[in-house]
Amino acid sequence: MTLAATQAQIALEGASKVRGALTRNRIRLAIVVGCVVFAILGGRLVQLAMTAAEEKFPGAVQSALTASRPALIDRNGLEMAIDLQAPSLYAEPRNIIDLDEAVEKLAQALPELGRDFLRERLDGDEGFVWLKRELSPAQEDAILRLGIPGVDFVTETKRYYPGGPVAAHVLGAVDVDNVGIAGLERYIDTDQVAVLQELGFARDRALAPIRLSIDLRVQNAMHSELTDALERYQAIAAAGVMMDIRTGEILALASLPDFDPNNPASALAPVEGRTDARINRISAGTFELGSTFKTITMAAALDAGAISITDRFDARYPVHFGRYAIDDFHGQHRVLSVPEIYKYSSNIGIIKVEQTLGRDNYRAFLSRLGLDGAPLIELPERKRANVPERFSEIVAATAAFGHGLSVTPLQLVTAYSAIANGGLFVPPTLMARTEEEARAQSRRVLRPETSDLMRYLLRLNGIEGTGKRTSEIAEGFRIGGKTGTAEKVINGRYSSDVTLAVFASVFPMDAPRYAMVILVDEPQRENAQSGKTAAWNAGEVSGRIIRRVGPLLGVVPDLDPGLDEALVPVVLR
Amino acid sequence: MIRSLNTLLVVVSVVGLVAVYALKSQAEKTAVEISALETTVARKTEFLSTLRADWAYLNQPSTLEPIIVRHAAELGLAPSSAEQFTSLESIPMRPPSEPNSAALEALLVSLEAGIDPTASPTIGAAQ
Repeated sequence: MTLAATQAQIALEGASKVRGALTRNRIRLAIVVGCVVFAILGGRLVQLAMTAAEEKFPGAVQSALTASRPALIDRNGLEMAIDLQAPSLYAEPRNIIDLDEAVEKLAQALPELGRDFLRERLDGDEGFVWLKRELSPAQEDAILRLGIPGVDFVTETKRYYPGGPVAAHVLGAVDVDNVGIAGLERYIDTDQVAVLQELGFARDRALAPIRLSIDLRVQNAMHSELTDALERYQAIAAAGVMMDIRTGEILALASLPDFDPNNPASALAPVEGRTDARINRISAGTFELGSTFKTITMAAALDAGAISITDRFDARYPVHFGRYAIDDFHGQHRVLSVPEIYKYSSNIGIIKVEQTLGRDNYRAFLSRLGLDGAPLIELPERKRANVPERFSEIVAATAAFGHGLSVTPLQLVTAYSAIANGGLFVPPTLMARTEEEARAQSRRVLRPETSDLMRYLLRLNGIEGTGKRTSEIAEGFRIGGKTGTAEKVINGRYSSDVTLAVFASVFPMDAPRYAMVILVDEPQRENAQSGKTAAWNAGEVSGRIIRRVGPLLGVVPDLDPGLDEALVPVVLR
Repeated sequence: MIRSLNTLLVVVSVVGLVAVYALKSQAEKTAVEISALETTVARKTEFLSTLRADWAYLNQPSTLEPIIVRHAAELGLAPSSAEQFTSLESIPMRPPSEPNSAALEALLVSLEAGIDPTASPTIGAAQ
């Protein structure tokens, strides 16, 4: 070492000291790195604790087969269609350890399956086989207690219609995947459930029930009376519809022969070789509705002021169109007043009325009353009315008494509602609706005075005319109505043997509330003394239905003749 | 300092370990409970839907009608007729009647004889 170096007191660090400082630095670095790592881990832990974990625990698997549908309830809250959740038993044969034991135990729990069937099903290497669909909860318990490996349950939702065929055509049916294929079931799929399913909500079991306009008590009465009519008059079909004329709500809609919605395949079961016999005749069947159309012709002429209630028309001679002559069935062959034309259902008279009105006016009125196009209803089963776009003279004349044009009975009942309720056209619906909602959707088609006159005419026919039998059966319910016995076209010709009987009615006439149309297709005489026209079959059925449902609907029978007298227009008193 | 830090870290680690394991087993237990409850709820819902279907079926007019028809004769059930309905206004007032002096006389006589009319049930029959 040099002096200068010592004087400057140069401190030279020893190698070990240098290494020591370096180590300390490294340790400090390690601590810092460690702390940072721990801080990151800690932060991550806090972050994980903050985020909600996906709730997927074993055993909490939601059944994929549970696609639920809203319950359909009638206007009083009675269930018409509900979801039934039932356990279905399946097996995974490749997971079964002891085949003999499994077969033995299952055969004891479910004796109806049979040992051979079980052995055949459970033997093998399949991943999945159904053993039995829709078991009761008690059976499920019993099988679970057996503790057989490789056998398990899945909950399936099944649509159940507790009423069976009673409201078949209203409700429709669903297929095996719980998708609506007919009736309202199909409608709600296109309307609501489909949207919900797309959004992933339809798995929810708590869908709000849909309240329909149907009154199950009325529906059942109509269904059982129509069933009775089929047998009593040996008819090929019978159908009926009842509507609340103020709200447009359909209270009952039945068409026989029908099917059981619990077994949708029965809708296609042939009746006497015809597979289309079970269609909904009310909205998907068009018919020539015969003399029930005279009400419409009369309303059109009275409303336009073309005729007045005091007018008289010459009905002495048949009306000739070229080589055709149209005559009366209940021939009076004299000069008839307007109420008489209606009461005696005079074809000649009503043609004169129609000619006074003018055929273009008449055609326009039919459109106003919703008698062309398809009926307005939620059901997918609808058929367009067949009404010629323009009336020739002869077509207009036959249309005046309901021939040469065919409409659905639903359109007829809607037209009768408008005629009786003061002149408002209210579109029919199968959903519950209030009077305010109905009023918002309605439109005026007749003057209220015309409606008053028509109520008088309808009631007159109910007391003295073709509605007499109906009024006698349902005494006191002030029924007004019009019969129609339409000849059916057989091999291109109108046949007087094969007829369609229609009765369109409104009750109670002093404060009209309900309109009904009853159809009996190809009725026979009930016995040798009875007739074959609509009054004897469709009319009587209507009477029996009204007698049954009148009190249920709050219509109190009243035999006071003063109520009928109050309907007579002042000019005729 | 390092030593105390180490001790602290070891203690924290052990406590953390025990706490995490306790939490995990607790969570597992709760999960099992949840799934058991969910199964119970599902089974109860199923059972409820069956009961609801039964109830709906038994309340259907189409189910009740044959029962009514079957028992109509025994219970004297029949459809109502128009004569069975009336209103309060159409019920006639009770016709005015003469005072029944003979009965009053008899009552007074019996009172004088010391018979308590409320005790004897035959007093109405005497009228």
